[in-house]
Amino acid sequence: MNPNKESSEFAINEMPENEYKFSDLISDPRVRDRWEKVRKYFFLRESTYDMTNRCNIKCDGCYYYEGDKQFAVENKDPDAWRDLMKTEKERGITYVVLAGAEPSLVPDLNKVCYEHIPLGCIATNGLKKIDPSIGFKIHISVWGNDDTSFRIRNAKQMLLKQIENYQNDPRAIFVYTFVKNNIDEVKEVAKILADTNCKMTFNVFSAPVGYEGDLKHTKKSLAITREVMLDLIKQYPETVLFSPYNVMAHTHTYGLHDLFGCSYPRQNPSTAIGLGRSFRQYRTDLTWDRSVACCVPDTDCIDCRHYAAGSAVVTARLHRHANNPDTFQSWLDYVDTYLAVWVMGYEKERNLMNKLVAPPGHEVI
Amino acid sequence: MPAQIAKDDLILRIAEIIIDELKLEDVTPETFGPEIDLVDELGIDSMDLATVVLVLQDEYSMKFDEDDYPKLVNIRLIAEYILEKLE
Repeated sequence: MNPNKESSEFAINEMPENEYKFSDLISDPRVRDRWEKVRKYFFLRESTYDMTNRCNIKCDGCYYYEGDKQFAVENKDPDAWRDLMKTEKERGITYVVLAGAEPSLVPDLNKVCYEHIPLGCIATNGLKKIDPSIGFKIHISVWGNDDTSFRIRNAKQMLLKQIENYQNDPRAIFVYTFVKNNIDEVKEVAKILADTNCKMTFNVFSAPVGYEGDLKHTKKSLAITREVMLDLIKQYPETVLFSPYNVMAHTHTYGLHDLFGCSYPRQNPSTAIGLGRSFRQYRTDLTWDRSVACCVPDTDCIDCRHYAAGSAVVTARLHRHANNPDTFQSWLDYVDTYLAVWVMGYEKERNLMNKLVAPPGHEVI
Repeated sequence: MPAQIAKDDLILRIAEIIIDELKLEDVTPETFGPEIDLVDELGIDSMDLATVVLVLQDEYSMKFDEDDYPKLVNIRLIAEYILEKLE
């Protein structure tokens, strides 16, 4: 599929890579303002935490119930979590991602984390409302329309329940995961979310290691996903938090690791600086293992197009994106989007770049 | 200009850029120890370092290699890195 077809109205970048100074790249006041806006958040240092080994639904393709982490013994002691958060803060962690299996089932532990590190996010299926006093972003997973949710998650009227719990909640971001067979359903879901004043962003299913089931993307399904994403950015600019460069990065034939070089410890042996130095992925027994540490453990790295991974992996590659105006502005759009999705109070601006710009060193497809 | 003086000037200029870009307080280029570990002692992370590198690239009209970031852990090493590229 040609991503430059007329209906999408998104052109492909053809700017050659020239020698630009960084001062040239930020000479445009709009670009400089955006750079100054996003750089204020360079202090964010994340780690992720599995809060429990329980969930109230069972989804096909769930990352949590792959690999060894699902067998970790659950630590339910708030004091142990309090101690962990204190030591995490001491070693420089400023942002926590509470995930696996279903954090809403352990409200006391969520509260302990929030009290010690007040910037963060909770990944939830949205069926049990998280106490409004916890001021983390809430990422609510959506895997198609309610018929598909019932089929692959065994949960009835899931979107309806999620909206009931989180409509008009500034914490809430509905994260629509594109799998191979739910691409068109996003149009129905996006309309419902737009009509109910909810915010959404996109994720692309990334197969767990060894997974060869029906959810896994093909080149064709990625290309179709790309078209649909671009259409929805245009159709619902107030609802959809995404940019053309997000589309590029997450629907490319190559996964994030091949495009950008994943900087999580699982793929990055260096402990000198950055994610390789500071990131940890704690299991629910409060242990961690550097060799499997990333934001979506047990994902097949070659197939990784996960939104959480991209938020760190693409953002971390500032250096290689500061080589021409289009690439740099695309990177700024990506970071602006990531901050709007992950940080309470950060509002996304209008995208600077409305072209599909190729990742450094790669083609657009 | 003798190499040693050039290096000292360079160290001061790098310190000035780091202070300006990262908005550091309670330190001046003169009091910024060139051996201070930017990561361990100052808490600088990869995004901060990338920002400083982009400004240094402009100032000295050169390209840093992204893979060299782990080597650039203090101002003296950054200065030596720049001098080596200028040779």
